[in-house]
Amino acid sequence: MTSLVTANGVSKRFGDFRAVDNVSFKIEKGRIMGLIGPNGAGKTTLLKALLGLTDCEGQLSVLGLDPFRQRKRLMQNICFIADVAVLPRWIRVSQLLDFITATHPNFSRERAEELLGRTKIKRSSKVRELSKGMVTQLHLSIITAIDAKLLVLDEPTLGLDIIFRKEFYANLLNDYFDGERTILITTHQVEEIENLLTDVMFINDGKILLDATMDSIPETYAELQTSGAHADTARQLGPVYERDVFGKKIMTFENVDRAKLESLGELHTPSVADLFVAKVKGAAA
Amino acid sequence: MMMNQLALMRREVWEHRSIWVTPSAVAMVVTLLTLAMFVAASKFGDITDMAIIGASSVGDHERRMALLATLLGYTSVFLIAMWILTIFYCLDTLYSERKDKSILFWRSLPITDAETVISKLLTAMLLIPLVTFAAVAASHLVNLVLISLWINSEGGSPGTLIWGSVPLFDTWLALLVVLLAVPLWISPLLGWFLFVSAWTKRNPFLTAFLPLAVLPILEYVILRSHLLWDAITARLSMQSMPLFSINPDLIFDDKSFRNLRLEDLSLLKLLDISKLLSSLELWIGLIVCGLFATAAIYIRRYRDDS
Repeated sequence: MTSLVTANGVSKRFGDFRAVDNVSFKIEKGRIMGLIGPNGAGKTTLLKALLGLTDCEGQLSVLGLDPFRQRKRLMQNICFIADVAVLPRWIRVSQLLDFITATHPNFSRERAEELLGRTKIKRSSKVRELSKGMVTQLHLSIITAIDAKLLVLDEPTLGLDIIFRKEFYANLLNDYFDGERTILITTHQVEEIENLLTDVMFINDGKILLDATMDSIPETYAELQTSGAHADTARQLGPVYERDVFGKKIMTFENVDRAKLESLGELHTPSVADLFVAKVKGAAA
Repeated sequence: MMMNQLALMRREVWEHRSIWVTPSAVAMVVTLLTLAMFVAASKFGDITDMAIIGASSVGDHERRMALLATLLGYTSVFLIAMWILTIFYCLDTLYSERKDKSILFWRSLPITDAETVISKLLTAMLLIPLVTFAAVAASHLVNLVLISLWINSEGGSPGTLIWGSVPLFDTWLALLVVLLAVPLWISPLLGWFLFVSAWTKRNPFLTAFLPLAVLPILEYVILRSHLLWDAITARLSMQSMPLFSINPDLIFDDKSFRNLRLEDLSLLKLLDISKLLSSLELWIGLIVCGLFATAAIYIRRYRDDS
């Protein structure tokens, strides 16, 4: 079994509102999957279902376990950082390490100490005495020291300045990711993670709009910058989304032969952020 | 499981420093009161001398009783403090982890909700009484030593007046039983407080105590009965705890008191543990506590309000 996560017709309803609506997907081992969606799209609900924090309809298997019913076993092999799952402010760094050493079978104290040794975090400090960036460093150090198969990051760098954000992702790649481990990440700052993703999934209104590998995106999607008569010709080819920038037309195409487009203007691969807008707006149109 | 419980309870001590700060503070206050008493007594030199001569000449029964009363007096302050501490701890513990949003961090570790809630119950019912007991025993020792030094300086004999007369270990064992029995006896209330702590969105104190006041009033207005009020007040009063084997008043009756053997003047002899353990009320209380704790586990597991 190489699929770490298998979702089959997963839904989560709050009354009449479907936060997650009949969603199916797989996440393979060793991938870095970006889950992209606007606020209220169902990202956090889906992550909570994956983490066993909330029950859901449909079939959901994470590491071969039912996340809600086998949460304790699941948590031995999953880590998560969420901006809502903050470290307790009253605890000392040394106490935190003691506690996790005592309760987590896959935690390496030495590794955590080594990672913390590279930061300015003192063992005797309380979490409330650390800056927001340092708290995230601390959390990432702890999680990197856990030999987990899946790491889930929900807006991990929210509220951090640019230096900490860059450092966070650098550390994530250098210290955590080894090709064996799998990462599922959500963020609003898509540009920052675009280069480290291997897979991307778009979600809006509880539904999946796109589920693709990053490698497949240049083959499937093209963004054409054009104007005038060329624009009309291009429009015949059925762009999924069109927008105006400084009097020029920018069109996003899906599964259209690049050879046909090349003569009509400047062609390149859309960024994940632009592709996301195109898919969301295109689906709404 | 066992390791997790120890780690979880240690975490409770880190988070709720009042678990050891409260009994330590009480120990310090009672010790200061003892010292203040010496200062006050020094103003009445002659009377103090008379008192020591008096204490040296009364019978062993009276001296033993006086010392037991002193030790009990010290302990009662700790008992009241433990009571308040336990209630506030139960009301706070599952509420604060939601308020400071650390609950999802704790739930990201391989620990079940049941293990967490059980550790909080064990902290309230076992750890807090044991820490309180340690403070009681320490304060007894310190204060008896202080009193001995004072008696010595006033020309009395602490060997006879204090150490020869006080059944210290026997008293401590009895106090330990009482300190452990009190949370068992009030367990339905502790369970209710834990449940409120896991459930309420605001002000656990009001949410917990308002129904305890309003429901008995409603019962009286509608049914003209006061079963609920009786049940609550019975849990709140020490006397109704089915642990004491004889009426403590008997001890203070002069005639029957004189007829007792000296070794029967013992707190331990007043306690009947089997009576407590075979009391139906105790087990009903524990079942109610268990139901509330189960509800707290259920809420922590199923509610998603982060």
